[in-house]
Amino acid sequence: MQPDDLARTLSPKLGDLLLGVEPFEGMAGRVRFRREGALDLFRVVRDDLSFTHLSMVGGVDWVDHREVFYVAWSDSLRQYLLLSTDVPAEDPRVESASSVWPSANWHERETWELVGVSFDHHPDLRHLLTPDGYAFHPLLRSFKLHEPEELEVKSRHV
Amino acid sequence: MSEMWINMGPQHPMTHGLWNLRVKIDGERILDVDPEMGYLHRGIEKISEDRHYNEVVTLMDRSCYVAGLNWEHLYILASEQALHISPPERAEYIRMMCAEFQRIGSHIMWYAAFVQDIGLMTPFLYGMRDRDLVLDLFQSFTGARMTYEYMRVGGVRNDLPPPFLAQARKVLDWLVPRFKEYDELCIGSDIFHKRCDNLGVLSASECVRHGVTGPMLRSAGLKRDLRKDRPYSMYRDVDFDVALADGADVTGRYLVRMEEMRQSIRILRQVLDWLEHHPGPVMADQLPRWLGAPYAPVGKEGYVLKRNYAKGVGFSSIEEPHGEAQAYVVNEGSERPYRVKFRSPVFANISAARQYLVGYRVADIPPIMGSVDPCIGEVDR
Amino acid sequence: MTTPAARTATPAPSESPAGDLALGKELPMADQPAVPFVEIETLRVKEFIPAAKEALSSLVAEQGQARVIRPVFNWAGRNSLFPLHWGLACCAIEFAAGFGARWDAERFGVVPRSSPRQADLMIVNGTVTWKVAHKLITLYEQMAEPKWVIAMGNCATGGGPFRTAYSVVPGVDKLVPVDVYIAGCPPRPEAMLDGILKLEQLIRERKE
Ligand code: SF4
Repeated sequence: MQPDDLARTLSPKLGDLLLGVEPFEGMAGRVRFRREGALDLFRVVRDDLSFTHLSMVGGVDWVDHREVFYVAWSDSLRQYLLLSTDVPAEDPRVESASSVWPSANWHERETWELVGVSFDHHPDLRHLLTPDGYAFHPLLRSFKLHEPEELEVKSRHV
Repeated sequence: MSEMWINMGPQHPMTHGLWNLRVKIDGERILDVDPEMGYLHRGIEKISEDRHYNEVVTLMDRSCYVAGLNWEHLYILASEQALHISPPERAEYIRMMCAEFQRIGSHIMWYAAFVQDIGLMTPFLYGMRDRDLVLDLFQSFTGARMTYEYMRVGGVRNDLPPPFLAQARKVLDWLVPRFKEYDELCIGSDIFHKRCDNLGVLSASECVRHGVTGPMLRSAGLKRDLRKDRPYSMYRDVDFDVALADGADVTGRYLVRMEEMRQSIRILRQVLDWLEHHPGPVMADQLPRWLGAPYAPVGKEGYVLKRNYAKGVGFSSIEEPHGEAQAYVVNEGSERPYRVKFRSPVFANISAARQYLVGYRVADIPPIMGSVDPCIGEVDR
Repeated sequence: MTTPAARTATPAPSESPAGDLALGKELPMADQPAVPFVEIETLRVKEFIPAAKEALSSLVAEQGQARVIRPVFNWAGRNSLFPLHWGLACCAIEFAAGFGARWDAERFGVVPRSSPRQADLMIVNGTVTWKVAHKLITLYEQMAEPKWVIAMGNCATGGGPFRTAYSVVPGVDKLVPVDVYIAGCPPRPEAMLDGILKLEQLIRERKE
């Protein structure tokens, strides 16, 4: 499936919630959408385009905004599809995909705690990798790692 | 009867690593499970942002420590796409050879650990003996047994030493009858069937719904193998079959892994033949200065040099011994990746634990979780 | 030990053997003579006997009975180190390889035990994160005295490649006392065995 085919199927169903379909090497394409249209898009992608398997959900912090991306696989087309949406850094929220693809559950938990994007209507948004009550989102660019020298000084006081 | 939650882990013989399986039980019956991860969360994705492209390879070995070369392969494929670099053909074949040998090593390690879960001790010793032979091969050209740092953006670090091919063929010849031995110890034994048949059943449609991949998916009869469906490296040129089983249970997963090792041997024989007849470079030329050295970047200058390098996003997906692993690398034109994201197959396989554990007995947990082949390093990253 | 109150409350020693062991009474052990040499000689290891005899008699002459059995304890302890069976990270795979056919760590009397109560050696074979730190301390506290800790690999020694990470303890010696450090990422099984032998050396020289 080519990006044009994707656009032909998606744009009548999504209207202006669809921002564009770009080519992406090694994939069917990269679909950029507005976050309000997330659930509609997921349903169309799963049911009409047969991308039944959600492989991963991840986030990228672009400082002024954050990007959430989804990778889905279709067993009949034997292709991957990349979906991505931008969320503002002040209000990083997007609808959860776990009602459409149950496999999104843990990936979204991880994205929430590491990149700080919250997922609405997620069944179980708890800490997964970091301890309960961990107050930071380590994969944000503003979260800096210690230099080893600093660590040396600090660890003497532990 | 009263219901209660018990913790199996983080230190428990069942876990094969650091994680905690919270189980809700009524007597011996499992009512609900809740895996608790993160005890080995080492922040690999964050540290990668502070490292050069080639330095991240170090972390890849440690992220899945039984399949280090597969994870190097995964990361290198994604960063090459992000950096618009293509490696020479011989390097691709060497990588493929590494991946297949590592698959054998990983599956033998799984075998050795899994049989202990069902109470057999002898196969553990057999398995470790044969795995050491495979690791000796790796040692002969990478210098390490487990943490190799062998692949580089644009190729591999060094070519194979001359006696390698003959030695590798010898190991393959040794392994083929060993697999028969393994089967006699397990599949030939009634006790194995009594413990493992119809256990941990997860149908193909449930696998797809919950993102389960790899031997677990193929044991349910769904034919999906990225080496065939979306060939990377040079898998298009080699001839092999996808290992399948039915039953979707623990025995099925055992059969799939055993068959995969045989298929890996088939691939390896073709790859070794190719390598014998096609000498050539193993690193791409025309690399940017900070990537060009086969070892770490040379001198201070290599670090400070900022090229206006084309931006890009790389995505790769490989069939790792545990399932489908994916990498997503964002290149923003600096010598360090802007963001690296990995998808671990075991992460998804364990997240579906509720689907294949509920309804069985507590004593069934070790064989079922053993058949998932948990490698916690890659789950927690 | 009994409290003074308990001692006065039950003054008469009971005749039955079960009564001797009843709670609240002095255990009979203190009144027993020290382990007679005859019993030690029934031990299987022939070379040990003369050495033990000599060590014991000289120690008895020098220091009295209280410290006589220390060499016996050291000998028994160092030849049957039972490490806790757990795997933290990559080094655990080399730890397991050490128990495989090629290295066979069990010939040194090292047998992994799954329960901390049965273990007297904790081999920290991998990265310790802050999330697992208190569990590690709990496991350490559950182990019976005397107990030892080996930090296996760079991670357990000082954080290793993940030293700068936000979630990693830079060295397990921040949490529990460590007796032997093994360098390597991962250390080869030979290095692990060497670390265990070094620990045996430490136990051999142990005074307290
Ligand atoms: S020292 Fe190296 S091999 Fe051992 S746990 Fe740490 S990273 Fe893994």
